[in-house]
Amino acid sequence: MAHRWGMVIDLDRCTGCEACVAACHAENNIATVGDAEAARGRAMHWIHVERYWDGEFPNVRVGFRPIPCQQCDAAPCEPVCPTYASYHNADGLNAQVYNRCIGTRYCANACPYTVRFFNWFNPVWDKPLNLQFNPDVSVREVGVMEKCTFCIQRIKAAEIKAEMEKREMKDGEFSPACVQTCPAGAMVFGDLDDPASMISRFSNSVRGTKLLSEVGAFPKVTYLERESSHGNE
Amino acid sequence: MKRRDFLKLSAMSGAAFALEGCGKQGTQLIRFIPEENLIPGVAVWRPSICTQCSAGCGIQARIMEGDAEVVRNGQLGTVKMGLAKKLEGNPEHPVNHGKLCARGQAGLQVSYNPDRIKHPLKRVGQRGSGQFAQVSWDEALQELLAHLGPLASQKNPATLAFLAQPLRGQRRELIGRFLSGFDGAELVPFEVFDDSVLRKANYLSFGFNQLPTLDLAHSNHVISFGADFLGTWNSPVAQSLAYGAMRQGRSGLRGKFVQVESRMSQTGANADEWIPARPGTEGVLALGFAHVILNEHLRAAEAGGGAGDLIDGWHDGLPDYSPEAVAWKTGVAPETVTRLARGIASHTPSVALVGGTPLAQTNGLFTALAVNALNGLLGSVMKPGGLLFTPRLPLPSAESSEAMPEAQRVVSVRTLAQEILSGQPRPVGVVLLYGANPVFATPPEWHVKEALHGVPFIASFGNFVDETSSFADLILPDHSYLESWVDDVPESGTTVATVSVAPPTMLPLHDTRAMPDVLLDLAHRLGGRTSQALPWKSYEEMLQTALAPLRHLPGSIHADSDDEFWKKVKEQGGWWSANGSIAPKPKDAPRTFRPLKNQEPQFDGSTAEFPFHFLPYASQQFFDGTLANLPWMQEMPDVLSTGMWSSWVEINPQTAGRLGIEQGDLLEVASQHGKLRAPALLSPGISPNVIAMPVGQGHEEYGRYASGRGANPIKILAPQVESTTDSLAWAGTRVSIVRVGKGELILFSLGPTEWGQQGVTR
Repeated sequence: MAHRWGMVIDLDRCTGCEACVAACHAENNIATVGDAEAARGRAMHWIHVERYWDGEFPNVRVGFRPIPCQQCDAAPCEPVCPTYASYHNADGLNAQVYNRCIGTRYCANACPYTVRFFNWFNPVWDKPLNLQFNPDVSVREVGVMEKCTFCIQRIKAAEIKAEMEKREMKDGEFSPACVQTCPAGAMVFGDLDDPASMISRFSNSVRGTKLLSEVGAFPKVTYLERESSHGNE
Repeated sequence: MKRRDFLKLSAMSGAAFALEGCGKQGTQLIRFIPEENLIPGVAVWRPSICTQCSAGCGIQARIMEGDAEVVRNGQLGTVKMGLAKKLEGNPEHPVNHGKLCARGQAGLQVSYNPDRIKHPLKRVGQRGSGQFAQVSWDEALQELLAHLGPLASQKNPATLAFLAQPLRGQRRELIGRFLSGFDGAELVPFEVFDDSVLRKANYLSFGFNQLPTLDLAHSNHVISFGADFLGTWNSPVAQSLAYGAMRQGRSGLRGKFVQVESRMSQTGANADEWIPARPGTEGVLALGFAHVILNEHLRAAEAGGGAGDLIDGWHDGLPDYSPEAVAWKTGVAPETVTRLARGIASHTPSVALVGGTPLAQTNGLFTALAVNALNGLLGSVMKPGGLLFTPRLPLPSAESSEAMPEAQRVVSVRTLAQEILSGQPRPVGVVLLYGANPVFATPPEWHVKEALHGVPFIASFGNFVDETSSFADLILPDHSYLESWVDDVPESGTTVATVSVAPPTMLPLHDTRAMPDVLLDLAHRLGGRTSQALPWKSYEEMLQTALAPLRHLPGSIHADSDDEFWKKVKEQGGWWSANGSIAPKPKDAPRTFRPLKNQEPQFDGSTAEFPFHFLPYASQQFFDGTLANLPWMQEMPDVLSTGMWSSWVEINPQTAGRLGIEQGDLLEVASQHGKLRAPALLSPGISPNVIAMPVGQGHEEYGRYASGRGANPIKILAPQVESTTDSLAWAGTRVSIVRVGKGELILFSLGPTEWGQQGVTR
């Protein structure tokens, strides 16, 4: 049975600690590019945390917003790919087939969330850093676009496990690396088609918003906006 | 490999080998017999403990079979072995409940770091030159014994110092017992962001010589004085978990959070209200709140208890701390003082936290005692939603982790340097190093470097060559923590008595040995007192013996025999007491302490010549610099500045405008004690008279990813200490800045992003 995987990120819980960023690197064999390439804007972070300043000293506030791929229902990255490397899978994910990718970078140009990352060079892993590679995730090469997959390897593993045990998948039985590690419990992952799931309940929260909803991409990541208790003495 | 051995081996096996130096490298290596039986492609999870900071979170490593290049018996080859692929929090662990921070996630790159020391090393070049040659373990141990042996004799006037990161649990016990074999031996725990001021204050105020556990999940109002509790201070994962629950874990109730600090930290960025008080005046502000609460009769002075008694004028309603007087000192408006005071008094349970910068001043103890008194007044001590204290483990060794037996002295690294240089009270013959890097992390005028030059013999147990261990004569490399038996006793972050213990998650990659087992081996070979104090054959045996009494207490494990108990401890990654079964017991604080008056902070450097306060801060990626050799951490953007792979100087945009400084300009920051250069980063979250810099970069010698990158703010700090402890007052230096040219910032996001522009930003 197909699912519709989605994510909810509670900005009132998020502390900007970036545990999700490091966990994502470790889970998905994401290369580091080094200082010179990072300075050219080529660092690869499938999830990154945006920081927004509000006001001027001393009345300053900050907002953090972790941004993984929004796994859009009407994803602008998909129709532009000449080789069907970016495609919509049965679970509604914006999947990327690395072997099909020829590096046109059209998808990265089309993505309104700038969450696609191009391998400008072959990644370098000084031995024995390569021993850490997660064998469930392919290592990308030069000329290939890569992006957040909602940890599709974990989704597949859970699906196979459920199938072998002849049962339905349970809500919350697995989660992507970012969700699993999040110290403040700011992230929830699950099946949007399951009305009883945690994520379905959170997605309907009055605090729920979508990022850049005006572009009409229909993202499957919902942000619960931050509240304020200022002046609430 | 020698040519002769190579030929011998080729002849014996007839297999194809890598021809080293023949141009085509690494075609094939010999295969060793697998040392473990794992099913290919199937992951197993093994518990361990995170050692990236001192919180003591429980972790689990995902182990899968892989091919590793290893050296076995001097021969390079490949072997199929279990390799750690991913770290997660241990869901059962009472500190972090399955969660893990970014630094913990990056722990894999410690084990797999290409710059790890792969075998014992002996110094061949000049001391400090970093030139070493490989030696065997036997040679290394003999050499160390040759230097330790004479010191163990009671006639020898010289002694031994063990300079280490602060250790707890059986590791601390082991080192203490090892040192008991040497007259006058000293344990020298060192970390730059040390919390001994707060421990001392908590002891005086509440009778607990430890850091607090914060029950934020049940707080309605939190006010934090400089404590980066969501980032780097105390037990960040436990505190983040509780913070999330405080904000959105209770239906219809959202706790308020106010942060007081002059440079906005990651924690401060989450506050509902951010109050930039002048550095060093946070204690005055806390007493300003207490003044309002007392004078508006929201609480009685008696509520302050012992903590209140320590503050001068407490029982007279703190007449010197009216909102107006406080505003004049702190720069916080009197109406804000009154408003916040009423807020924390009425929205109970409320709690005040203090840590970090405010305590790294000459008047740190006063500030901590003031905040403690405020907590007493708010009724938040040992109450839900307030400050709790983790109960002590009911073991004899748990006591000794607090106060070492009389035979050993615990001194600060500053004192050690003075002792080495003066030869008083006795000369230091040997220094053993373990995981502490004071050459990097102390001000130059503590003269740690000069002192180490004068020590006859230095041996290091570290994994890496850093600024301090490059002075070693001998390096006996430890396993990484994923390759070792690990144990820890968390000081805070949980309400149950906890001991974390776990066996190695994987076999060692290199020709290293676990430090505890090397010490046991050395003790055995030394004989005499040292050997009597350490009768165990292995560290596992020592751990098992020490923890055996816990089987009979209500806790996380039910077992019928000692063996079953130990098996379950290893599977679970430790033992923790049943909820409420062990109560934290305060000790009676000394009654001799006289009530403290406000003490003005002393800053190094005149305001005319050095107009800015200089605040180094623990970095989100590197903590105190120990993690700067991890490429994942180097490339993880600092969340506020989005800086990567570099250092920067944070400056208020108004100040920058006044001085003609633009984003990215190269600045020279000078104190009375040194100068450094780094690019300017304009940040709205910093007071106009404050300059801030992350600690962690500026390594001279710490592997390929960290060396020669950025600047080290500690190198320009004044050698000031908090006046009642030997802790470095790292926030007590003043500096001047001057633009010297164009610099380069490496940022992930381009420029400050405004609230209204949320969306496409990178």
